[in-house]
Amino acid sequence: MLTFFSDTDCDITPKECAAYNIKLISMPYTVGEQVIYPYIDFDEFDSHKFYDMLRAGTMPTTSAMSEEAYTQYFEPEFAAGNDILYVHFSSGTSNTFTIMHQALEKLKAKYPERKFYEIDTLGISALCYNIVLEVADLLKAGKTAEEIVEWAKVEVPKFPMYFFADDLKFFRRSGRVSGLAATMGGFIGIRPIIHLNDEGKMVSIGKETGRAKAIARLVQYVEDLGEDVKAHRVVIGHSDCPDIAAEAKRQLKEKFGQDLNVITTVVNPTIGSHCGPNGLGICFHAKHR
Amino acid sequence: MQKTTQLDSPTFATMLRQGAVQLGRDKKAVNDLNVFPIPDGDTGDNMLMTLKAGCASLPNSNPSLRGTKQSRQKLSEVASAASSGMLLGARGNSGVILSRIFAGLANGLKDMVEADAKTFAKAMQAAVDEAYKSVPVPVEGTIITVLREGAAGTDACGDLNHYFETLLEAMQVSLDHTPELLPVLKDAGVVDSGGAGLLSIFRGMNDALSGNISDEEIAPTTASTPTIELDKFTENSTLEFGYCTEFLLRLMRSKVDLGTFDEKVVFDYLNKVGESVVAFREGTIIKVHVHTFTPGAILNEMQKYGEFLTLKIENMALQHHQSTNQDNASFKVPPKKYGVVTVASGEGLINAFHEIGADEVIAGGQTMNPSTQDFLDAFARINAQHILVFPNNKNIKMAADQTAELYKGADIHVLPSATIGEGYYGIGSIDRDNANVEEVITSVTEIMQSVVTGMVSTAIRDAEGDQVNVHMGDYVGYSGKQLLSDSLNRVEAAKALVERLGAASRDVMLIFFGEQVPQNEAESLVADLQTQYKNLEIMLNNGQQPIYDYIFVLC
Repeated sequence: MLTFFSDTDCDITPKECAAYNIKLISMPYTVGEQVIYPYIDFDEFDSHKFYDMLRAGTMPTTSAMSEEAYTQYFEPEFAAGNDILYVHFSSGTSNTFTIMHQALEKLKAKYPERKFYEIDTLGISALCYNIVLEVADLLKAGKTAEEIVEWAKVEVPKFPMYFFADDLKFFRRSGRVSGLAATMGGFIGIRPIIHLNDEGKMVSIGKETGRAKAIARLVQYVEDLGEDVKAHRVVIGHSDCPDIAAEAKRQLKEKFGQDLNVITTVVNPTIGSHCGPNGLGICFHAKHR
Repeated sequence: MQKTTQLDSPTFATMLRQGAVQLGRDKKAVNDLNVFPIPDGDTGDNMLMTLKAGCASLPNSNPSLRGTKQSRQKLSEVASAASSGMLLGARGNSGVILSRIFAGLANGLKDMVEADAKTFAKAMQAAVDEAYKSVPVPVEGTIITVLREGAAGTDACGDLNHYFETLLEAMQVSLDHTPELLPVLKDAGVVDSGGAGLLSIFRGMNDALSGNISDEEIAPTTASTPTIELDKFTENSTLEFGYCTEFLLRLMRSKVDLGTFDEKVVFDYLNKVGESVVAFREGTIIKVHVHTFTPGAILNEMQKYGEFLTLKIENMALQHHQSTNQDNASFKVPPKKYGVVTVASGEGLINAFHEIGADEVIAGGQTMNPSTQDFLDAFARINAQHILVFPNNKNIKMAADQTAELYKGADIHVLPSATIGEGYYGIGSIDRDNANVEEVITSVTEIMQSVVTGMVSTAIRDAEGDQVNVHMGDYVGYSGKQLLSDSLNRVEAAKALVERLGAASRDVMLIFFGEQVPQNEAESLVADLQTQYKNLEIMLNNGQQPIYDYIFVLC
């Protein structure tokens, strides 16, 4: 048997996991002194409450998981004779995967027969979400883990995500975006446009004045770079700005037709700790990232 | 200069002492570099206290015995005595890491009577490994980076003098590079303080190795007799930095099985609940440095495993100090590239200017022009190569221009910001990473030209404009010298002004409402304007400025 894992940084909810038979790894974030594991320490993510807390000045942090935690997720599967397929968020944004591999090294010695298939989405939030669902489709269609790993080598680089954020202090603190001009653009409505490159790292590639222009630019990327856009899902991820997400969706449907499959997700709190509130990203199928 | 091919115990003891002397000289400069993990300005003191504790526990060694038969105390004994002293005396983030560096070094020199350059280089590698192990989440651009890159850049094929020369060079290169690895350093225009402290120590060690031994006393540390500035944490403060919590925990046989106890449970716990964790175990003692908001929770957890030997908890707000411009030669804090001075009145507006990056906001405006002295004082408080001045008013620009010629401490550039809006946008768009000042000025000026500012105020006399007639006491909207709206109702005057300013074709509008305007009036105005201008992003700020009830800035 093959067990399909994903993690909460991929924006997938327990309800969706139940529907697609996915096991969910909870990636922690810390508020003040309290370490919080999404969907373990709460049942439903109250995104509005969370992002309001950020708006009010709280800056949560995130930390890597421990080796033990990874072992607790993976060992029962290996012990039961199952192999694992794990579709996870970008290793380019966290050192948690180094720790995961340390755990796996030990498990490998204990369960030499068992296989671990890893798909690094080289993305966050909406991008991972899109690929998790693609993989779920492939599994449903009867593809093997080996086939899916081969698919990912070709297809993961074809899922770009372009996004903007409102308040750069979150990114500036985490230092995870390169090429950000060292301005205070957030205060004057100037938003950097950021994308995830082929190494799964976040790079700023320009800026727009005003939210309307920033949304228009994201939609323009879908038009310019898109390839078989309608044959795949378009995923809009937002950090508590549903109106802006709705506007982006409206523009996308206007350009590509009402039958475009657009899914809107809310950015999970762990990634949200780095990008802050009022951010919007669009992930779609494209010629390249 | 004397050449040393074999390092013996008296030489090493002298080197450690000279390291402390050098760090004592550089202490203040190192303190002033301290911005990471929090800007509490105590790195130099903490490292010096740690190293002094190491020196104090050295067996009595007489420098005059170097090279003689009596120097036959093993090198390893001196190294390990220093290391145990530092274990007990380690303070602060960098201090604790420093103690691990010397623990690793002692481990690498184990059983050695003497060491040549190659052996010492191997021990340095052990020091690197130990230092990285003590930090659960290693942050590059800090002391550990300077150590690692320093050790990696050495040449151990010659004598120890050559080894140390290459080590110092490589450490210096690494230290200079730290701002590229850690944005907070770059923002503050400094190199890493812990790395600078480490380099200082190794410089002193190198001096002793080459025979330059000074007999001066090691400088006293200020942290041992702290002056607590109680004003830094008042009944209105918020706990921004938490508590710096340090302790030595003795693992107790009655609580844990000493043979099988894995200290990792402690480290993992600390890492989950705290920040800036440095922790290690030496025998049955666990040394911990952690920043936390609730030290009580950590102490209770730790008592599950043992009892405390020493304990220190400090509110970091009290440690936090503003670094001053200093005159210390060794690690002079490099001036940051850009400083910013501007002029505004109203508490909210002044705060907004600080928030967007102004170093100094001189109180003033149309009715209160700042003096030349106000400008000179503001310039003197900034340590920057270039100071960009945003006068936000044509009259004030003239005063600023005159001042610019008088001041010699930095290159003063007065930008042509004629309104609050231009100044605010201009400052917000300074790219502080761009080293080319001309480019920065050009782009800031372009942004300022693209901005239009309008104000609503009360008319102090009758006036006739091209498009409106104004009666004294009316609310009047204007931009520059142009009267654009007039009404007995402030909100109506504001709405008409916004329309005349061309809001329909703009992307962003900032509003600063003045001290006369109730918040709910401003909020309901925003709601109305947002309905009218769907594509316009409106940002509302409480400027609390006098005279101008509303300032609208459109981009």
